[in-house]
Amino acid sequence: MHDQATDPPLQKSENPFQKKITPQKRQDAVVSTVLRMATYFILICAAFIFLDIIRKGAPVVFQTEFPFVNTKFFTDSPETLMTFETEDGTFYKMDFSDYSQWKRDNPEGRIVEEHSHAYSGGGIFGPLVGTALLTIICIIVALFVGLTTAVYLNEYSSKGRFMDMVRLAIMNLAGVPSIVFGLFGLGLFCFVAPVITGEPQERSILNIPLFGGNFLAFQGWGTSMIAGGFTLAVMILPVIIAACEESLKAIPMGFREASLALGATKWQSISKSVLPYAFPGMLTASILGITRVAGETAPIMFTAALAHKDKLPWQDTDSIGGFFSQSVQAMPYHIYTVAARIPQSEYTKPMQFGSVFVFMVLVMCFAALSIFMRINYRKRVKW
Amino acid sequence: MSQTAPTGDNKPNPEAGSVVFKRKGFQFMGLGTQDFIRFFFGGNASLAIIILILICVFLAKEAFMFFPQHHAGLKDYRQSGQEFVDYIGDEIGAHTNLYSSANIAYFAEVNRTSREEDDILRAHRAVLANLENLTSKTWGRFEREVDALEDVGDDLEDLDPAKEEDQPKIAALQEEKERLEKEIVKFRVELKEEVSAAINTNEAWELGVGSDAPPPESLPKLREAVLFEASPEVDEEHPYIAELKAVSKAKKAAAVEEFADFKATLKAMQDVVRPLKSLHSEIRSIASENKAVLVKLSTAADRKEAWIKGAAATKDPDEKARMLAEAEKVVIEAPDYDAMAEPFYEVIPEHAALIAPIDTEMAVLFQQLPDKVETRSAHENLKRAKVYYDRFVKTVAENRENIKGWSHEKPVSAVESVSSFLFGRDWITNSSWHDVYGLLPIFTGSLLISIIALVVAVPFAVSAAIYVNQLAPLREQNFVKPAIEFIEAIPSVVLGFFGILVFGETLRVVSQVEWLQWVPGFPMAERLTILNAGLLLAFMAIPTIFTLTEDALNNIPQALTENSLAMGASKLQTVFRVVVPTAVSGIIAAVLLGFGRIIGETMVVLLVAGNKIKIPDFTEGIGVIAQPTHTMTGIIAQELAEVDAGSLHWRALFMVGMVLFAISLIVNFSAQRVLKRFQKI
Repeated sequence: MHDQATDPPLQKSENPFQKKITPQKRQDAVVSTVLRMATYFILICAAFIFLDIIRKGAPVVFQTEFPFVNTKFFTDSPETLMTFETEDGTFYKMDFSDYSQWKRDNPEGRIVEEHSHAYSGGGIFGPLVGTALLTIICIIVALFVGLTTAVYLNEYSSKGRFMDMVRLAIMNLAGVPSIVFGLFGLGLFCFVAPVITGEPQERSILNIPLFGGNFLAFQGWGTSMIAGGFTLAVMILPVIIAACEESLKAIPMGFREASLALGATKWQSISKSVLPYAFPGMLTASILGITRVAGETAPIMFTAALAHKDKLPWQDTDSIGGFFSQSVQAMPYHIYTVAARIPQSEYTKPMQFGSVFVFMVLVMCFAALSIFMRINYRKRVKW
Repeated sequence: MSQTAPTGDNKPNPEAGSVVFKRKGFQFMGLGTQDFIRFFFGGNASLAIIILILICVFLAKEAFMFFPQHHAGLKDYRQSGQEFVDYIGDEIGAHTNLYSSANIAYFAEVNRTSREEDDILRAHRAVLANLENLTSKTWGRFEREVDALEDVGDDLEDLDPAKEEDQPKIAALQEEKERLEKEIVKFRVELKEEVSAAINTNEAWELGVGSDAPPPESLPKLREAVLFEASPEVDEEHPYIAELKAVSKAKKAAAVEEFADFKATLKAMQDVVRPLKSLHSEIRSIASENKAVLVKLSTAADRKEAWIKGAAATKDPDEKARMLAEAEKVVIEAPDYDAMAEPFYEVIPEHAALIAPIDTEMAVLFQQLPDKVETRSAHENLKRAKVYYDRFVKTVAENRENIKGWSHEKPVSAVESVSSFLFGRDWITNSSWHDVYGLLPIFTGSLLISIIALVVAVPFAVSAAIYVNQLAPLREQNFVKPAIEFIEAIPSVVLGFFGILVFGETLRVVSQVEWLQWVPGFPMAERLTILNAGLLLAFMAIPTIFTLTEDALNNIPQALTENSLAMGASKLQTVFRVVVPTAVSGIIAAVLLGFGRIIGETMVVLLVAGNKIKIPDFTEGIGVIAQPTHTMTGIIAQELAEVDAGSLHWRALFMVGMVLFAISLIVNFSAQRVLKRFQKI
């Protein structure tokens, strides 16, 4: 194609359309193949990881008879798994609650070879709920603050050194390791954030008296769902701000100018002729945010997560405040627990691979959705 | 832009009613709706900025409070005499290192002659254990039957055959006994079959890491011996094994004879430090007591206050009186540092008298160590002993000065409290002696893992980006790009999980393969190593580096490429001589940001790096990658949940977080600088 220029002058006897294979071409082909192999090697590695987890996890989640999905795995919370053998050599494997029931039913059965496997029985309902709650809190907070900040930065703020510095700082913070945000969340939300309470704790930094004998006590929210959600929100705030500002910037100036020229107020032009067009971009950003937040473990390790909890969040409390101030189980933390903090055996495998499979598929669905939406959005939007 | 836009809000409009644009009604303190909307957005923006500033403030507050506390800890360390004790401890430690290397060398030499027999015996033990594992279920049941039979026998003995009323019981037991005996016979056959089936599996012959395979000619006999011993009737050694044991013993005895001099040297080495050791343990207990006193006195004020507070809160008068009495008992006084340090000053001459002969004698004894040894292990250990000897001499020389000049009153400088954190070589927590917070072990761990990850990730990511952006047909681009971006979304805990459960074992098995032994660090004994973590992190960093590099290549003006092609350059010549050099700043920035991502990654390293807090041993060169390590992110995640808020340990972890924060800011900032600087082309 392009390299015809390097071809020697044609000789009459030759076929003028025959392709010449010069050493340069051969070298090109080799290097190009090497690069291509490197590319596909990456994809093969990824495929291997996916397939391995699917191969080991799918049998836990799906079954061959109706309803084809292991519903128990999705509706129970993690429990201790008991394996034992009775004297006559029959082997039993059951969750701890069933095990107590069995013992009551068979008082004379002599058990030999009894083993317990922590967190390996039951299902993953508790962690799923916890992760969903954390993600929802986080996304609400992060989107509200992030979106309004982006609107301010892009639509209202004056251009200048100060704003450039603010942008630079936000961009830099996007690269800060998540565990550092976890430390910060622990310091601020778990130990300092304000609560309204009748009896402030001793560690409270500042007590501001309110009406009715209550205090606004800066004593922190403790290890709780809301502290974890806020920590995650702060973590993705820079990302959300940057993404939202990006999608606002993509709206041509003419839209605003036309709207203002027609006599619309500033807010009318923002709300009617900027935000609706920036909406798909912001949605993509928020889904990307969900993907990142749901997969994060480090920030919630000491701000919200708990390895074991008997009750679901709404069973444990009757007030709204109590609901938000309890710690929750979370999928990533549950995976960390079953992967590293319990002794491994063949009976722990189904729980391990089952939870990883479900978690991966969930996160990947969101990721695929955001990638798909972005591609689609880029294709469609052309002004 | 927005300022100049005619919003028509704030300007007073005298001709209201007669104009087209009528002002909306709501106004409060001279501000209209638009202003409030503006303030709403502005307020949220400042809230976001304030929160992000708070991050820095909080981290900095918690982290920098570390240094005063650390300073106080170091002061206590000196004044309680622990520092003095550790000087002597260092000397003993240096000696112990030397001695144990020499000792290993000695045993390697002694065992050399009987190596073949020992290999067979080791394999014999391993295979027997494997077989037992493989057939453990049947074994368990068999043993239970045997136990039951014994119980029945005991019961039979207790009963008296002469007594009339026992007769039916005896009959029943006899029947049970016969049944059990039959069962046992049946189980024996079953076990025998299972064992002979199991011995043919590969699992039975797994010898474990690091043990050599027995010579092939011994295998049939070994197999026979194992089968013989694994069968349930036999409770004795196979003659072949017994013979091997005897031979090995005899050979060892001969070797001990041969190396009698070596042994004598070792013994002399051990004897020579004995008095120093007893002196050390003596003063160590004094220092421990001193420390306990210091801790008690330093918390006295708090305890007193707590008692008084408790007394104020309680309503029971007796209880109140008791608490106040307790509060009275707590003595608040300044510790008497001089009295505490007294015993150590007395020890100084004694130590000098002890260390001088040790120094000279060790020099002689070290010369007596054999220089020619036959086994590789002995050779390496003697080489190591040489290093340790030099270190010992150095330690003794240094500590002579340190001990002579030691003073409990010497002030601890602020620099010392900072530098002992930043350059400290140990991270020891929860010890009963003295906690040390040194950044170096975890920092080197993080750095090593990141370097490996970058070395692996950069070639793949950059070549993939070049291929996708410059060479691939459009259809391929549209498939590969989202696929690689998709990798970025894999949660790190999933990757870590994969590493700990699947990849670690795979890597270990691969490292045992014969033709891969040229790779440094292979064969690996452990699953969780620097290499494992590095490879997984490389996989994580590839999408980041790929995406940013691809962007950088995309931003190259089309004209450059077209010019190059028009000049007759081939496609690849254009790519490598025009496009890549122009995009190099973007590629560097991509690599930097990839590095930032890797060094801040927590879950993968927490799960996969092995979590051993020690500076990796670099004597093996690149082979260091086969060792486990700990990282800055991992240590925060692992230890923070278990420490008290506000303690020195807690603040040390925040300080580590601060270091991470600083690293990530520097990396990001320099990436932006690089981009800006080269973008002007």
